[in-house]
Amino acid sequence: MSAGWTWLLAGSALGVAWLCLAWRPPAGADPTRGERVFQRCFACHSVVAGEDKLPGPNLRTVVGRRAGTWPGFRFSPALIEAGQVRGLVWTREALDAYLTDPDRFIPGTEMGLPGLREADDRRDVIDYLERVGRDSGPTPGRTP
Amino acid sequence: MPLAQIALVITLLLLPAAVSAEVAVQAYPLPPGGGPHDVAVGSDGIVWYTAQRAGQLGRLDPATGKVDLISLGPAAAPHGVIIGPDGAPWVTEGGTNSIVRVDPVTREVKHWPLPEARGYVNLNTATFDKRGRIWFTGQNGVYGRLDPASGAMQVWDAPRGRGAYGITTTPDGDIYYASLAGSHIARVDTDTGAATVIEPPTKDQGARRVWSDSRGRIWVSEWNSGNVSRYDPKTKDWKTWKLPGDRPRTYAVYVDDRDKVWLSEWTANAMVRFDPETEKFEAFPSDRRSANVRQILGRSGEVWAPESGADRLVVYRMK
Repeated sequence: MSAGWTWLLAGSALGVAWLCLAWRPPAGADPTRGERVFQRCFACHSVVAGEDKLPGPNLRTVVGRRAGTWPGFRFSPALIEAGQVRGLVWTREALDAYLTDPDRFIPGTEMGLPGLREADDRRDVIDYLERVGRDSGPTPGRTP
Repeated sequence: MPLAQIALVITLLLLPAAVSAEVAVQAYPLPPGGGPHDVAVGSDGIVWYTAQRAGQLGRLDPATGKVDLISLGPAAAPHGVIIGPDGAPWVTEGGTNSIVRVDPVTREVKHWPLPEARGYVNLNTATFDKRGRIWFTGQNGVYGRLDPASGAMQVWDAPRGRGAYGITTTPDGDIYYASLAGSHIARVDTDTGAATVIEPPTKDQGARRVWSDSRGRIWVSEWNSGNVSRYDPKTKDWKTWKLPGDRPRTYAVYVDDRDKVWLSEWTANAMVRFDPETEKFEAFPSDRRSANVRQILGRSGEVWAPESGADRLVVYRMK
């Protein structure tokens, strides 16, 4: 290997290491706290693959998924309309708005959660769902 | 038009008049944004409801329509409310993970927090036994008991994990709860606290709420199947009926003082009364879109339903 290649590889490795060290979750975010916040969702939702008989749809890959879609789950007409007609996709921003006030964001939703009032609760639980989703494979209904 | 069709049209035209002649329906508007989840009416006629989204307990005087709101704290998100043997409203307060009593006169709010080690349990519904103790469910998979006299609280793991939802007491003092995620009901031994699972005949039916009739038979609203079912503890028999309409979803159940069974059905956006003697259903559709009635309670001659999606309390008065 030439000296040029050696320097290039070493530089790349340093760059990657710098990026890893420099990366931080968004200011104040706490991924482990998000798992605790998820206890508010736990009665109806799972993030475990195959756990699909709960009152709410499985959320393991919800970030990026089209609203009102999950194989075998019976969604409310309001959620189906939001996904199919309005094209709603569960981005972080959409999830934040929905979790703030579900009935206001999608009138007619059947979700019983009254909303998460604290912004850091919403941020942390979305971080958690995003992290769980990253560890999962490709999923039907999810946009690239 | 054939005679049979003419007769059918006449019958359908007369039906609403027949219904309204027997039941008077009245809606009470509430302060907007509260999302009334559960309701309870006291023997004095005063109606209490949980304004879950606002973290408040509401008090409605039906004589005047006046509503008072009582704050349960900045983190509160109350789910259930029942009237205790002391005449006070008792709340399963999901936001602060505690059982709450509100004094009906002084409006003082008293909290009994669940043990911290239990974590967040998603408190759901409560019922009193014959010894003045309040039993409650936590949807994350627990049920428990509080003795208000001593403050002693015990919490047990539900036999099959998450799902414990509606809970009721029979006239004999037995306690039953429904498991929504577990699709079963369970009987609780009020001495030992042990819960025994009772399997329904319909798989994955989604038992959301339970109520007892005057004979101690347990009526179950089945969310997934759209059925109402009845379990007889004496014979251990089940009987099941499908609610009318296309793909019904049965949310709440309550049995009135005449042993008529009241249900909320979300697909048709209606309250439904079932007569176990004639096995006939009678629908009372809401005039508001997505009224979303999540619970029903009443007193002699009155059935109350909170329309969580319309910020209203609706009463059905028997004539």
